[in-house]
Amino acid sequence: MPTCTIDGRQVEFKPGENLVEAAKRAGIEVPVFCYHPGLSVVAQCRMCAVEVQGIKKIQTACSTKAAEGMVVLTQSEPVKKARESVMEFLLINHPLDCPICDQSGECDLQDNSFGHGSAHMRYTEERRTYVDLDMGPVIKKNMNRCIHCTRCIRFGDEIAGIREMVAMQRGNNTEITTLDGRPLETDYAGNYADICPTGSLTLKDFRFKKRAWMVKKTATVCEGCSRGCNIELHWDHATVFRTLPRENASINRYWICDEGRFNYRYIHDEQRVISPVVAKSGAAAPGWPAAVVAAREALRGKRVELLLGSDLTLEEAQLIQKFAGDFFPGARLSHFGTPGIKSTSDDGDADKILKRKSKTSNLHGMEKLGVPGFGALSKETTGILVFRAGRAELPEWGGVAAVGVGVFMEPQAARFAALLPSATFAEKDGTIVNFAGVSQRLVRAVPPPGDCKQISEILMMWANSGRAGGAS
Amino acid sequence: MLVDRKAPVTSRLYVVEILKGLLITMKNMLFSRNVTIQYPEERRNYSDRLRGLHYIKAVNGVENCTACMLCPTVCPAECIHIEAGERPDKEKFPIKFEIDILRCCFCGMCEEACPKDAIKLSTIYEMSQSKRVVYDKEMLLVQRGNR
Repeated sequence: MPTCTIDGRQVEFKPGENLVEAAKRAGIEVPVFCYHPGLSVVAQCRMCAVEVQGIKKIQTACSTKAAEGMVVLTQSEPVKKARESVMEFLLINHPLDCPICDQSGECDLQDNSFGHGSAHMRYTEERRTYVDLDMGPVIKKNMNRCIHCTRCIRFGDEIAGIREMVAMQRGNNTEITTLDGRPLETDYAGNYADICPTGSLTLKDFRFKKRAWMVKKTATVCEGCSRGCNIELHWDHATVFRTLPRENASINRYWICDEGRFNYRYIHDEQRVISPVVAKSGAAAPGWPAAVVAAREALRGKRVELLLGSDLTLEEAQLIQKFAGDFFPGARLSHFGTPGIKSTSDDGDADKILKRKSKTSNLHGMEKLGVPGFGALSKETTGILVFRAGRAELPEWGGVAAVGVGVFMEPQAARFAALLPSATFAEKDGTIVNFAGVSQRLVRAVPPPGDCKQISEILMMWANSGRAGGAS
Repeated sequence: MLVDRKAPVTSRLYVVEILKGLLITMKNMLFSRNVTIQYPEERRNYSDRLRGLHYIKAVNGVENCTACMLCPTVCPAECIHIEAGERPDKEKFPIKFEIDILRCCFCGMCEEACPKDAIKLSTIYEMSQSKRVVYDKEMLLVQRGNR
């Protein structure tokens, strides 16, 4: 690989790489606002100024390609002075909103102001202010905080494929807005908040819920579709507050869709069943031992089929396969998930960006384990055991006795003779296989709420309830 | 090694030492002022910088606090609990502002961290209660200290 010298360090770079990326390889951070690795380069914030030997004027690192033998200085006096001036200009109209701004703590403007700006301000005139229009249900706009980096405009144009954000007016009056003040239409609107380097575009969903530094972060994988986008769950005190995308060049790059971003909501849904339910028992809370016995009784002497949601992890599915062999020998196993998608061949891209047709995460893993797709119950079947992890859509099964294990909402509970609540994707570890056959790991972020237990625990209780005195 | 040292008789009798001590006692009893005070009736003058019970400063009836969460962040005892909300006249304000006063160690870091001069420590030091109290926003707004 060719090499250049950055701050006296020999740095190898890929041909065509710009200086920001090359410096990143050497662990040298060049401050940026308008540059984003997933978007085109416009070099309009001028923050990434660096000195290139042999060129008199200061160059922008984002638009300068690294070249063999190039000597770059990122910390020289003229560079520092240029950055300080840029920061001063940006902060002229930036409100001192940090205490109430949701971005503070993860704000590029804050970081760069602290790292490269001056503590003093010479501007005494009135600041420029805007009136903000509503931007739809996902994004809250505060134009006063904007620094006109146009990342959002480029994101809409290049990634989301919809030119809804535009820069109106010119010069000092430039306003980033939607055309005619319409609400945002793209299904990827949450990314506007992620790429915004200031608090100009923030998530309505996360508004004022927590400060950025108060949340704990768990790197995991989205279960919204068979894409398996890499995400980070932000949580505190056993509550998940938001989902952010994690960079993965081969799967989701820097983005996630809104469906995946707000998928976490059902974890804390008020209607989620979080303690075992036994229909017709009359008792409000039967408790685990009684519920497991009731579940066993409901399927006693029946010809049982097992339905596995294709949102279960590989580990869970394998365990269920073994369980089925021991307790329901000869029972048919099939997976269900998205209506109309029976096997991996039905799965495909739902749009041109990330979304896939299969709305469950592990469809391809199920196929790998040899579990066929669910079509209809066979005529002899008189009982079913349904496993589900939160997203798989329940199929129709008529009037046969059903026992549910997994994550269910209250309206669904009526369809089951017994319901044993289990953990969602944020509450368990496991492996899922995405559409391209890549195995990825779910990582547990929060403990399961209420009386929910892991599927492995439930199967163990099921197995033991037959043994321990009189229950069977 | 223990050595048995014989002290002179005068000091072995302790008479002189006892007399010396009594002299000091008498001096204090007869010629010095009382150190104790009759507490509830009499009060000591403490410094204005005494760190006592918290209060939230309000200007024209609007609390200064913007629920920026810097005080719960800096609080070493984790005794401050804030829930932020939005209302027409104020973009961000604390819906809930609670101080678990029994956990508080009166270090004053919340006051120091506050960018809006909202949370302050008054000089009130009488906080004993018969049960555990969590001071809420209403109480902290009314309680203005003795300044």
